[in-house]
Amino acid sequence: MQQIIYILRKEFQQILRDRFMLAVLFIVPIVQLFILAYAITTDVKHLSTVICDLDRSPISRELIEAFRHSGYFDLNHETNRPAEVSTYLDREKAVMGIVIPVHFSRDLKSGKSPRVQLLLDGQNSNSSAIAMGYSQRIIQRFILDKLKDRVRKEPEMLELIHQVDPVMRVWYNPNLKSAYYMIPGIIAILLTMITALLTSLAIVREREIGTLEQLMVTPIRPYQLILGKIIPFAILGYIEFSIAMILAVLWWRIPFIGSIPVLAAFIAAFILTTLGLGVFISTMVKTQQQALFFCWFFIIFALLMSGFFFPIENMPRSLQYLTYLDPLRYFMTVVRELILKGAGFSQLWQEMAALLVFGALIFTLSVLRFQKRVT
Amino acid sequence: MRRLLGSRTAALARKEVIHILRDPRSLIIIFILPLIMMMIFGYAIDMDLKNIRLGALDHDRSPSSRAFLEKLHASPNFEITRRLVRRDEIKTMILSRSIRAAVVLPEGFGESIRQEILTPIQVIVDGADANSANIIINFLQAYIADYSLSLSTVHLQPLEVRVRMLYNPGMKSANFVVPGLVAVFLMMVCAMLTSVTIAREKETGTLEQILVSPIRKHEVIIGKVLPYVVLSFLIGSVILGFSYFWFKVPFRGSVLLLASLSLFYIFTALAFGLLISTVSPNQQMAMVISLVSTILPVIMLSGFIFPLASMPRVLQWVSYVIPARYFLLVIRGIMLKGTEIGTAWPWILPLMGLAAWFLLIAARRFKLKL
Repeated sequence: MQQIIYILRKEFQQILRDRFMLAVLFIVPIVQLFILAYAITTDVKHLSTVICDLDRSPISRELIEAFRHSGYFDLNHETNRPAEVSTYLDREKAVMGIVIPVHFSRDLKSGKSPRVQLLLDGQNSNSSAIAMGYSQRIIQRFILDKLKDRVRKEPEMLELIHQVDPVMRVWYNPNLKSAYYMIPGIIAILLTMITALLTSLAIVREREIGTLEQLMVTPIRPYQLILGKIIPFAILGYIEFSIAMILAVLWWRIPFIGSIPVLAAFIAAFILTTLGLGVFISTMVKTQQQALFFCWFFIIFALLMSGFFFPIENMPRSLQYLTYLDPLRYFMTVVRELILKGAGFSQLWQEMAALLVFGALIFTLSVLRFQKRVT
Repeated sequence: MRRLLGSRTAALARKEVIHILRDPRSLIIIFILPLIMMMIFGYAIDMDLKNIRLGALDHDRSPSSRAFLEKLHASPNFEITRRLVRRDEIKTMILSRSIRAAVVLPEGFGESIRQEILTPIQVIVDGADANSANIIINFLQAYIADYSLSLSTVHLQPLEVRVRMLYNPGMKSANFVVPGLVAVFLMMVCAMLTSVTIAREKETGTLEQILVSPIRKHEVIIGKVLPYVVLSFLIGSVILGFSYFWFKVPFRGSVLLLASLSLFYIFTALAFGLLISTVSPNQQMAMVISLVSTILPVIMLSGFIFPLASMPRVLQWVSYVIPARYFLLVIRGIMLKGTEIGTAWPWILPLMGLAAWFLLIAARRFKLKL
């Protein structure tokens, strides 16, 4: 015990002495959080659109206005040659083109089904699918309006029109703000980066400059050394995590309905796993630069496999199994379920168990590898 | 080479090459890790939701309500996994994450769709994951609108809409994601590579030795960056080749054009790393800064996933200093659209400007240390 305290004192001195490091540790993540939180926009809007209206009639303008009013599209280009529409898309000047044919209004009135063409830039399959959904809904509403006009003239039509009208209700997050769960996610990622990297560097650096050997000839045991290295980062990480969470909840008015002590327990378990990974990485590498690359690999893996950006259900089955190795995956679930839906331990015990098992395994592995490399 | 660079720069570059080659383990790591990542994420990243788990609460139990649900179940996007009996089951199912949304058909649904103009039904969506909730709502609305049209007994489609998806007709996520990964990874690797170079010399004290030698400031910087341009170009070619041969991402434009433009990008990213290196007091800080300043900003503010046009104006300005933003246009344009030099060159100008800016600050910070 005494020995751990000695190491702790040394480590704390080393960290607190370094003002630059403390600044980076506390200020950079919080500044980044405040910038990146506003970058989270999953809704697709302000799509620059090129219009080619060959009809130029009041009705065709009505359709164009419907697009303008929806707010999803910026109709900032116009051309009267249909062939030119795709050049706007080629040059990245527009992502959608609408071509309204000649005699559009005449054909519409005489029931000849004029053909409106939508050209979409399919590069981003996700946002182009959403844009297509928006346009189809706008056009459907336009059709419905036209039908109502017809019904007014021929009331016997009424019996022929039937529509199912879905009333959409969104629970837990009625305005569909993805920021609510992505902001805690960003905090978790930033802290994972910093704590995992700093822990692994702290150990590798001692090895690189040779002081690790000096420590090893003292009566200190490997597990004591590892504890001494990680406890300062655990404490600093925990404090920073809490500050960032409180700031985020207050600033973005995240509707927090879950239990704070349960979240606190999850944060602790999560930090444990990321520190464990830091230690584990340090046992696999020889230089600080290698540690950097492994941390990078691990963080990108954690980030992209956590369901943070891309839904896990979409992944092939084999890769879904791989996500079980990602502690961030569990933490993201917890954040979502606990903060917004108020889930407690009874719904989240599996996540807690997974984090604890992961943490225990990675630490045991690291201590074992550490001993092996020293002897 | 020597005549081109001047003997001092060449000597420093040679020293750096020796430094890189002396550590084959790191070199292997630098090449292998991005490949493993491409392999995983090329498959993992698919943004289109399939088989969304739905609950169905059918108060009507008529042939038409059953037909409605069966058709929904048969569509590729949805899967009705739970048949509910009571309304309060919806809440427990959503809390236990067994379903993502529930469809509630009211009593008299079957009669209503035959007689009334509008038949209301209720859809309850779990909004906790706003991302997928948005997509689920979109899909459900499209499905229901389609269904409505099929109900009508007369030809009610007064106009026809034809949609043409350009550049990615199969709507494959991989075609969009894989070139994006190349751009994003390349930026990160380059910045990490050079971020340590000068910081390491500071830590070991060899920087002072270099500074007392007759070598000039810009010679140090050029000598430091050049070997990494070659190394990064090789890494870039390997991951690009992998994405073309393995993921079969189309390559419609000119390879030569992409190769030459990627040099500008690599140079800019390396310059950014060098800037980090001159600002940081030691390797540790350089690494923390290079990791923190590349991962999230490059992924989130470059247009890699989130369309920049939908972001607040201020963030769009921030995105102008992120080199990946320009290269994403270049690589996706050349691969998917077959963009030619005439369209692509304006994207390179800001990259050159950024590189010059990074190097200028780096050089000035460097002088301060003297």
